[in-house]
Amino acid sequence: MKTYLLKRLLSAIPVLFIVSTIVFLILQMTPGDPALVILGQEATLEEVEDLRQQLKLDRPIYEQYFNWLFNALQGDLGESYFMNDSVMEAIISHLGPTISLGILAEIIAITLAIPLGILAARRKGTMTDQSVMAFSLLGMSIPNFLLSLFLILMFSVFWRLLPVAGYKPLSAGLWEHLKYLLLPAFALGTAHAALIARMTRSAMLEVLNANYIKTARAKGVKEKWVIYKHALRNAFLPILTVIGQSFLGLMGGTAIVETIFAIPGIGQLIVNGVMRRDYAVVQGAVLYVTFAFVFINLAIDMLYGIVNPQVRLDSKK
Amino acid sequence: MTSSTENIDLHAVKTALRKEHNSILLRQIMSNRSLVIGFVIIAFLILVALFGPLVIAHDPNAMNVLNRFAPPSATHWFGTDNLGRDVLSRVIYGARISMGIGVAVAIVASLAGLIVGVYSSYYTRLDHLLMRISDGIMAFPGLLLALALMAALGGRASNVVLAVSIVATPYIARVVRSEALALKEQTFVEATRALGASDTRIIWRHIAPNTLSSLIVQATFIFAEAIIVEAALSFLGAGIPPPAPSWGNILSDGKTYIYKAWWMTFFPGMTITIAIIGLNLFGDGLRDLLDPHSSKTKN
Amino acid sequence: MNKDPILNVKELSTSFKTERGVVTAVDGVSFDLSKGEILGVVGESGCGKSATAQSILRLYDEKQTIHEGEVWFEGQELLGLRPSEMDKVRGNHISMIFQDPLSSLNPVFTIGNQIAEAILIHKKVSKREAYARVLELLRLTGIPAPEKRVNEYPHELSGGMRQRVMIAMALACESKVMIADEPTTALDVTIQAQIMSMIVELNQKLDMGVILITHDLGVVAEVCTRVVVMYLGQVVEEADVKSLFTRPLHPYTQGLMKSIPQLDCDRSKPLHVIEGTVPSLHHIPEGCRFAPRCPFADDLCRSKMPPLEQYGSGQKARCWHAETISEKGEAIRA
Repeated sequence: MKTYLLKRLLSAIPVLFIVSTIVFLILQMTPGDPALVILGQEATLEEVEDLRQQLKLDRPIYEQYFNWLFNALQGDLGESYFMNDSVMEAIISHLGPTISLGILAEIIAITLAIPLGILAARRKGTMTDQSVMAFSLLGMSIPNFLLSLFLILMFSVFWRLLPVAGYKPLSAGLWEHLKYLLLPAFALGTAHAALIARMTRSAMLEVLNANYIKTARAKGVKEKWVIYKHALRNAFLPILTVIGQSFLGLMGGTAIVETIFAIPGIGQLIVNGVMRRDYAVVQGAVLYVTFAFVFINLAIDMLYGIVNPQVRLDSKK
Repeated sequence: MTSSTENIDLHAVKTALRKEHNSILLRQIMSNRSLVIGFVIIAFLILVALFGPLVIAHDPNAMNVLNRFAPPSATHWFGTDNLGRDVLSRVIYGARISMGIGVAVAIVASLAGLIVGVYSSYYTRLDHLLMRISDGIMAFPGLLLALALMAALGGRASNVVLAVSIVATPYIARVVRSEALALKEQTFVEATRALGASDTRIIWRHIAPNTLSSLIVQATFIFAEAIIVEAALSFLGAGIPPPAPSWGNILSDGKTYIYKAWWMTFFPGMTITIAIIGLNLFGDGLRDLLDPHSSKTKN
Repeated sequence: MNKDPILNVKELSTSFKTERGVVTAVDGVSFDLSKGEILGVVGESGCGKSATAQSILRLYDEKQTIHEGEVWFEGQELLGLRPSEMDKVRGNHISMIFQDPLSSLNPVFTIGNQIAEAILIHKKVSKREAYARVLELLRLTGIPAPEKRVNEYPHELSGGMRQRVMIAMALACESKVMIADEPTTALDVTIQAQIMSMIVELNQKLDMGVILITHDLGVVAEVCTRVVVMYLGQVVEEADVKSLFTRPLHPYTQGLMKSIPQLDCDRSKPLHVIEGTVPSLHHIPEGCRFAPRCPFADDLCRSKMPPLEQYGSGQKARCWHAETISEKGEAIRA
């Protein structure tokens, strides 16, 4: 098991390299000089040159890249050009909201999806099943930013139940914190709920056809237990796969939702960074996000091993 | 049972078989509800995009400051926006832009993905390189990558197509590659090679065409994603520059005035949703038709 | 000559609602099982023998299945029971083992867990008592080192051992009837013999009735007391084992017997085959269902369905010409 994990970690390194290279190159291609933007249009050429030298923007590209990489490996991602923080601080301070949002969205998704998926599987072919599938199609098709806008229309404009935008951290109290996150989490989570529901349904259908389900029934196991103990446990692996992938996708999709709801998370950090040509922040944040992705992937793999004994035992050999 | 030799009209048999095959295919298609409904929706939207501008009464860019924020009415089915422009006309023109970009991305990504996919499956060293780069691109949240690319390239329709295609290509490449890898192992490839066919010929005459069914299914979903990403980019202000009525731009305007004019958000939003639903249905139906035992979920 | 029948199947019919209409897989099947008897049910694939077994235990999805007829067990009519009551019969009084032990065992639970479950559902005992019984059952079915095996997963065991585990599960509540649906088909020949001899041993030791579903006539000859032959959803012959092999009445049974290669047969002659193939359940022929393939069929056979008639000493056959044919027939090695 340990060697397997190590191998996976190692194979992630080239990915990190490539991602950071891609981002670096893209940012270099981007027109617009941070120094100029910082100082404003009235700055003199000398002032701009000075700042550029200060920020080391005048060095050749490969030197800039290696400098950055070298520092990054030591945990120093540089300074933001626009904010008063180091990139590391900026990332850390923006982490909380995104994590809260992501977890809440995933919880909403799973809570909705799995029971619905099981229901649809048990009542395959009936109106119930078709309704669940239709809702799932709808959920998958509405883009999350669009759903955000619709939710705002319904809950903030027409019914005035929830705030339109903004964010309060946990320290302000649980309900206050959740109030601001509910709509965005719903907007984010719905598409994933749809996907997870579909996967749950199809995994359950497949499992329910298996011979060992017939055996369980022949033993006299009550139908409820056949579904929740025998079937679900086996269906869980593909469902977990989808949950894992969806969580990754979810974290990636927070950008635009955070922007709409004015939530100061990593997504918004990157979007603003790109718009403002805050190179250091974008590079650092992207590196961080990619690293997180890889890590989460690994965690999911480990979870597999626990859920499915076959995987665990095979990798022992 | 005595066996008798009869003269069999081979041509008649072939024609009869083909007719039967076609009627079975037609029945399969007709009974595939997803496919049919999806197709109807998409066809309708394409017709609207192509011919709508000829039919509508209003100019999408015509501003009418006297009639700003008018709710839906008989003259303005979708109401008017903050500059008095007719929302319906803007949505119809927007269909041209947004769906046009969607199609363009689907085509570009398909071509690029096909090339990358088949060559990767065939040459191992190339495979390592290309797959690493693909992994790198896919490790990134698509929207953010597209955003960064747009910032680098500048806000123009062609750049939107380029940026989104770059994001989408790895997904198609992966699908094509896995199909091609499976095909490569089949004996007909060995046989063709034994006949002396060159690599290029094998790749393009034999392997690539067989990957097309999976490719087309994936391309349909890419079409849908492209519409969404373009809308998101324009919404953030990094896509097609205003005042072009791309759906994302219309939504962006709508957000600012969401309290005053819900119709500016609702109608374009419904249109996008319907387009995506149509594409998803079509893609699902296509996948059932072409590969009923596939358990692949879309990216 | 049925002494103490414990299970009565009366005119059991099972039909499935499919996309292409209603298909009747089991059509008016009747037989009895006596205490301690091993009843063989033979026939080709698709003749309805498995479907009959699963119908007795009502394992089919009842939204898509129509049952007719009656199944009597210990004074209860099973087909009319409420699902919760049927749950109490399954695995408890009547148990079943299946053909492929690997796919029939749940891969994510240990075998100890699965056998214990069979006990815990029906008996109010503690977990410890259940596990003690599990070890006992494992020993009963000849599994070595049961303490170790209890914590293993199905895929860690060999095919033969898995089938022993299935049998152990079936014995967990000391059921009076065990239905064995092709228990050895998926196993190696040597293991087959072991499993069959174990089933026979258990039948004798525990006085447990066994319905053995198989297509292997050799096993039937060795092990069964009585045999039911099925074709296309119907019973075509029923007899005690000796009569079946020495004097088969139905042409289908005769064909089956003749198809068995003999050690001392003339190798230059081709093997005997039954002409034609089994028709699909969607296109059941008029009249006697075997007529299209029967060398003795006449117009009567093709137009009217023969009833199952008694022919002395408990032998039954569904054929208009059973007596005349058997006189012409040759004796087969018993």
